[in-house]
Amino acid sequence: MPTVKGDGMRGLAVFISDIRNCKSKEAEIKRINKELANIRSKFKGDKTLDGYQKKKYVCKLLFIFLLGHDIDFGHMEAVNLLSSNRYTEKQIGYLFISVLIGANNDLMKLVIQAIRNDLAGRNPIHITLALQCVANIGSREMAEGLSVDIPKLLVSGDTIDSVKQSAALTLLRLLRSSPDSIPMGEWMSRIIHLLNDQHMGVVTAAASLIENLVKKNPEEYKGCVSLAVSRLSRIVTSSYTDLQDYTYYFVPAPWLSVKLLRLLQNYPPPEDPAVKTRLSECLETILNKAQEPPKSKKVQHSNAKNAVLFEAINLIIHMDSDPNLLVRACNQLGQFLQHRETNLRYLALESMCLLATSEFSHEAVKKHQETVITALKTERDVSVRQRAVDLLYAMCDRTNAEEIVGEMLEYLESADYSIREEMVLKVAILAEKYAVDYTWYVDVILNLIRIAGDYVSEEVWYRVIQIVINRDDVQGYAAKTVFEALQAPACHENMVKVGGYILGEFGNLIAGDPRSGSAVQFQLLHSKYHLCSPATRGLLLSAYIKFINLFPEIKHIIQDVLRSDNNMRNADVELQQRSIEYLQLSSITTADVLATVLEEMPPFPERESSILAKLKKKKPSSVPEGSEQKETTASKIPAVQMSNNVDIAPPTSINLMSQGESSTDDFVDQGSPQGGSASVDLLGLGSPTQPTAPSVGSGGLLDMFDTLTSHSSAPATNGIDLGGLSGGAEEAFRKFICKNNGVLFENDLLQIGVKSEYREDLGRLWVFYGNKTTFQLNAFLVDVSTPGNLSETGLSIQQKPVGGEVEAGAQVKQQFNMACVQEFAEAPVMTIQFLYSGAQQKISLKLPVVLNKYITPAEMDANTFFTRWKALNSPSQECQQIIKATSPIDHEQVKAKLIGFSVSVLEKVDPNAENFVSAGILYTRNQQVGILLRLEPNKQAQMYRLTVRASRDKVAKILCDLMQTQL
Amino acid sequence: MIKAILVFNNHGKPRLSRFYQYYPEDMQQQIVRETFHLVSKRDDNVCNFLEGGTLIGGSDFKIIYRHYATLYFVFCVDSSESELGILDLIQVFVETLDKCFENVCELDLIFHVDKVHYILAELVMGGMVLETNMTEIITRIEEQNKLEKSEKAKLDGTPVLIQTYAGIAAAPARAVSALKEMNIPQKVKDMKLPDLPSIGNLKF
Repeated sequence: MPTVKGDGMRGLAVFISDIRNCKSKEAEIKRINKELANIRSKFKGDKTLDGYQKKKYVCKLLFIFLLGHDIDFGHMEAVNLLSSNRYTEKQIGYLFISVLIGANNDLMKLVIQAIRNDLAGRNPIHITLALQCVANIGSREMAEGLSVDIPKLLVSGDTIDSVKQSAALTLLRLLRSSPDSIPMGEWMSRIIHLLNDQHMGVVTAAASLIENLVKKNPEEYKGCVSLAVSRLSRIVTSSYTDLQDYTYYFVPAPWLSVKLLRLLQNYPPPEDPAVKTRLSECLETILNKAQEPPKSKKVQHSNAKNAVLFEAINLIIHMDSDPNLLVRACNQLGQFLQHRETNLRYLALESMCLLATSEFSHEAVKKHQETVITALKTERDVSVRQRAVDLLYAMCDRTNAEEIVGEMLEYLESADYSIREEMVLKVAILAEKYAVDYTWYVDVILNLIRIAGDYVSEEVWYRVIQIVINRDDVQGYAAKTVFEALQAPACHENMVKVGGYILGEFGNLIAGDPRSGSAVQFQLLHSKYHLCSPATRGLLLSAYIKFINLFPEIKHIIQDVLRSDNNMRNADVELQQRSIEYLQLSSITTADVLATVLEEMPPFPERESSILAKLKKKKPSSVPEGSEQKETTASKIPAVQMSNNVDIAPPTSINLMSQGESSTDDFVDQGSPQGGSASVDLLGLGSPTQPTAPSVGSGGLLDMFDTLTSHSSAPATNGIDLGGLSGGAEEAFRKFICKNNGVLFENDLLQIGVKSEYREDLGRLWVFYGNKTTFQLNAFLVDVSTPGNLSETGLSIQQKPVGGEVEAGAQVKQQFNMACVQEFAEAPVMTIQFLYSGAQQKISLKLPVVLNKYITPAEMDANTFFTRWKALNSPSQECQQIIKATSPIDHEQVKAKLIGFSVSVLEKVDPNAENFVSAGILYTRNQQVGILLRLEPNKQAQMYRLTVRASRDKVAKILCDLMQTQL
Repeated sequence: MIKAILVFNNHGKPRLSRFYQYYPEDMQQQIVRETFHLVSKRDDNVCNFLEGGTLIGGSDFKIIYRHYATLYFVFCVDSSESELGILDLIQVFVETLDKCFENVCELDLIFHVDKVHYILAELVMGGMVLETNMTEIITRIEEQNKLEKSEKAKLDGTPVLIQTYAGIAAAPARAVSALKEMNIPQKVKDMKLPDLPSIGNLKF
């Protein structure tokens, strides 16, 4: 035994022993700091350090780094070691760099230069070191610097096998980290032929590389399928002695087999019948081998064999084309389910999850339901139990849903904390998806809350409320059930939330029974009040105000509660505000207003389940995309499908959930920009110039009172109707009363222009949507609705479709044809919706179509005018208004306005030259209406008197209203 | 892809950490701690795979590990790797260590961190399996050792021939002799480490 001085690096050994002998963390740190100071001074001061010493110090630094201490020096010394000719020094230099230097280090340029030198050298062992370093760091800078050298090594004829192997994996690493900096070249076409290489190690490495390339561009590398199949076939059919060193515990080349089977999973079943047959034979052989007695008792033997087997089964599932193989695979997995090796049970459950999604084998998987349930209950390993949950979820369908959900609920009581939340989501989804009877669904969810309330996320309880609201057949049952559930002395806060919401909406359905009468319900809810968080209390307060509407007889009790100091002077402003506002609301408003404001929630729009979205986010792998789709289309589930969170804030009602704060943001806040405008219609909240201000939350409630009180003093004109319009829409709209062309709306994203022409009772209007952004606007949708009864008779609108996208900077034109059937007062409302970089945008505008557009000017002399004027003398035919001028009275401007209003301006008719007299004929489909107009300005008072007479009732009033906005 | 390879002992002391994806240093330490926390509370007869671990990779991430006497060998991989395949790879790694160090034990990993890294580099490269054939791996390691010896021989003037035969097989012996020279066997005894049985020939 040659004892070489310093070979074990005595200094290093001493240092390590010292560290290990340290009795405390402090002592260890002290020793390390001492060593670091020593090394630092050596590196700084001693210029004569030889390679061995450098190596020793670098080793010490590595050891210190492993213990979790930052190493902020020594980098330069390591880089210097790279250019050493000595192998050992080079080696330690590379090691230090690949362990300690991040990709962004300043020294990377020097490192890359050293690597390039080594790659260009002829010494394979140096090349390998350099490649290892590149593969381990794999930075973009390296990819750019070495993008030519490495592919060259890979396909060059005189590269030795081990270097080829390393080059393949190095290239793979660079392709992964910066795919765009590797130039595609001639090497790409040659790469698949590496699958035929003599050296199995090269083939294994190449298979990894090819798989990565295939994932990006399957077409280009399609040739690898037949090569992989034939290689696989040769391995599978060889006896274990053929491959010698690549046989691992009597299994021929297991890693390569696994790689090839993985590679094939990127393609559909081979088209070439010969290849297809050969592949099927391989898979069958692998399945057959599983049944053979083991060649060794060692666990490594069965591991390797099963690694190949599982990959084969995955490929069979992926191809999903051969029912025979699928069923065999399923049976094989069934055997593993009961295997004594935990690893195999785990993997069998995992693979079966995939198998359950195939229509050929879904039934076969279901045969194992009992075993899986037993596994869920008896497995000692949480990893395995988790897989069992996944499989139960995957194999669930309408026939076994009740049983599986029941078992999962039962297990939930004792389940590991780590998997509870996921289980809750899964149970909630299954219950909803396969519910035939919604009372069952309600029971399941309430059980979930009871058993695992802490793990029931907001999505779950939102969802049950959405479903109850949308399905009136369960509302009574739900009310009864939550009432019973709330009887429990201690119930989870989520239960209180659901209970509060449902009783607030549907408590009346069970109030007939004296045991659950109004006062009882209220007392029950209120008994929980003081134990709840402020968010829940807010919800309960909303439930109380709803009670006032449902049960007027307990109004005074509730008002007392709202009035109590505990609420009205609560430190939490939200609660304080709610109490005060609700109290005011209940005392000031009439029963009718109260009933409208507190009306039952309307059904939610149908959407994808938010729970499913949450599960997908949590575990993308566990929700097979395709199968979900199949489910929803194949089985016509009566379930409501809805609610991701956009625009679910319902119209015409206060949303009980609204907190105005983040606590229920999913439910309300994100919806409010859209939903807000809908509520506004009723409540007249929010000013039209701030359309996107969230108006459903607490702020909205405040506004509501403002408007309610202002209503009584000064009846708002048409503010209520305009509430939903986008900012500036009303002003822009007014400009169009007297003109036909112009810009109707403009913001940062969109400019909307209008051009129109009218002839008698027909009108044509073009709207131009100009995309001002540099992005495409998606899902561009325009909807025109006519408010009130206008749609029945007033105006008939034909809308040409407009495309779904508006390209960046482009303009899209849409034509509307509008015929005036009879007089109408309200302009149609146009709603424009689109997605701008993923965010839903909504713009509501009044389409500038007004009654005066259908007037044709008429000329007549003074005599005729006054004769007709006098003839139109019934009160309903005349409308007169006194208007304060908004701008100094200018004769010419007024004249232009009148002409723009489509009436004539008759000269020398009125004895007073300052006055205007106009006439016109309003064409509607049903009749022609004569219009006479007289406008008398008073310059001193800056007032106008406007008189309109028309031969048809109401028309005068409408035109008068329109004209007065222009003066 | 293999994201990281970690070796730590029963007390969570890291003995080897190799990351194939860049993480800042403090993050690396956190990952080691988290992984140890996850793995150490599991019984020996449960399965060798587990999910969880929030620091690497998120949902597409699995821990595959083996526990040998005092050491945990942990591979953190994504879903593109075969679980059993990785399990066998761990076995190959340990068997190779065992051959190179002759009955490898925890001390070998401590005193020859660099060697362990070189052996690993022959198995796994950039997160992908490079070579699985143990004979081939050992041949390559021995080539390295030859080079090392010859360089040292040049330095010391000792005949190359003798050196070559020592190979890496002599490493533990050298470590022990180094220890002896420094008169620290006593210290080794005093260490609070559990027994350090050879980990190569244990039942798995």
